[in-house]
Amino acid sequence: MKHITAVVTGVVIAMLASISYAESVSDKRGLTLEGAKRVIAATVTEAKRVNAPGGSIAVVDDGGNLLALERLDQTFAASANIAIGKARTSALFKKPTKLFEDAIKGGRTSMVTLGSDLQNFTPLQGGIPLEWEGKVVGAVGVSGAASAQQDEELAIIGAKSLDYMEMAGIANGHQPLPVTYIDSQKVAASFAKGAVLVGEDENMMHAARNYMVHASHRDKAGVVEVHELDTDIVYVLKGSAQLVTGGTPVGIKIVAPHELRAPIVAGGEARTLVPGDVVIIPNGMPHWFKEVTAPFDYYVVKVR
Amino acid sequence: MYLFIAVAFVLAVAANAQAQLVEKTALTLEGAKKIAAVAEARAKAEGARVVIAVVDEGGVLLLLERLDDTQVASVNVGIDKARTAAIYRRPSKVFEDQVKNGRVSALALHGAVALQGGVPIIVNEKVIGGIGVSGETPGQDEDIAIAGAAVAASFAKP
Repeated sequence: MKHITAVVTGVVIAMLASISYAESVSDKRGLTLEGAKRVIAATVTEAKRVNAPGGSIAVVDDGGNLLALERLDQTFAASANIAIGKARTSALFKKPTKLFEDAIKGGRTSMVTLGSDLQNFTPLQGGIPLEWEGKVVGAVGVSGAASAQQDEELAIIGAKSLDYMEMAGIANGHQPLPVTYIDSQKVAASFAKGAVLVGEDENMMHAARNYMVHASHRDKAGVVEVHELDTDIVYVLKGSAQLVTGGTPVGIKIVAPHELRAPIVAGGEARTLVPGDVVIIPNGMPHWFKEVTAPFDYYVVKVR
Repeated sequence: MYLFIAVAFVLAVAANAQAQLVEKTALTLEGAKKIAAVAEARAKAEGARVVIAVVDEGGVLLLLERLDDTQVASVNVGIDKARTAAIYRRPSKVFEDQVKNGRVSALALHGAVALQGGVPIIVNEKVIGGIGVSGETPGQDEDIAIAGAAVAASFAKP
């Protein structure tokens, strides 16, 4: 009995450990020095194009800590620290600093006291958050151009350069991920019972890969699924099914981080899927294979 | 007579004007980049995770780089070391050594940090800025800073 208790306790601890690991940490993207340099380079190029009289450009990470700074020749010295302050303020609030300047100008004078808590709080136009796939990864601050307006215009151009930036691994000259090849026999075998083709762990996409591929197979109806992060792109190969999307899931449960399930959904829109159909189900959208004519095979690309 | 004095006065002011201005060599962003690039290459070769800060003659930041995975606290320490080297025109190690040898009052020096890793940038025997490195051991920080500062020798006009 004691032995069994010990085993059970061990299993419970192991389960708790795996659950708490999954929920206690998460993957996040961080700006590299290489990325920060590119933002600065884009800002400097624009400053020269518009003949800005000068400029200090600061790039901070998501914690508001300086990653890189350049002060153009002849730019007044104080601008270096003001640029850092603008970038820091923008990163810590995930907002353009103009919002704070406007709020204070608009009468919310008490906002200046934020400066006592936040080191280098700088509510001056010219700080812009840097976003990567919808998440703020840092900010760029510009000071010392012709006007506060131009400071901000330059910062916006710098921030936009991130949109064109490749994944950090590639940007740093690292090798891209290897090519994945799955032969037709393995694909067919995967469809026979339904399997993950690419992406071993359903809940943990690797930071360098933002997709998974499933060879999905259903013999009967499923449950209502909501993927908070993943968009499903579905291509139907065999059989047919009634797919209900939208509505309000009833009796919702969290089965894994960002993964919700429910037995039924109230309302929603029903469609009958047949081979050749393509459906794109955005993240956050409840969806349910309510009725299935087996065997129902469909190829899914999950994008995060 | 009055006219003569007035003319003499004007001439004197004009002659003095030359002595009231001096030609100075100033570090440009381009120069700062060259210094930082060498320091960065050295740091990467050693696997060092550091902040490299370059300041002008007045101790104000011109350029900063925080290499990937460097502790964030090194940002301010790096800037402080660079400023110390620039405005006191000597390696910041001098003050660390003074404190170590019992001159604790060196800690009171305004605008200085008594931490090894800041090195002046010198062109034609004049200090035109400073480079500060922070993130690894004091000795390694300083070695990286010295490697960067050494580039300034190539800036000197023959």
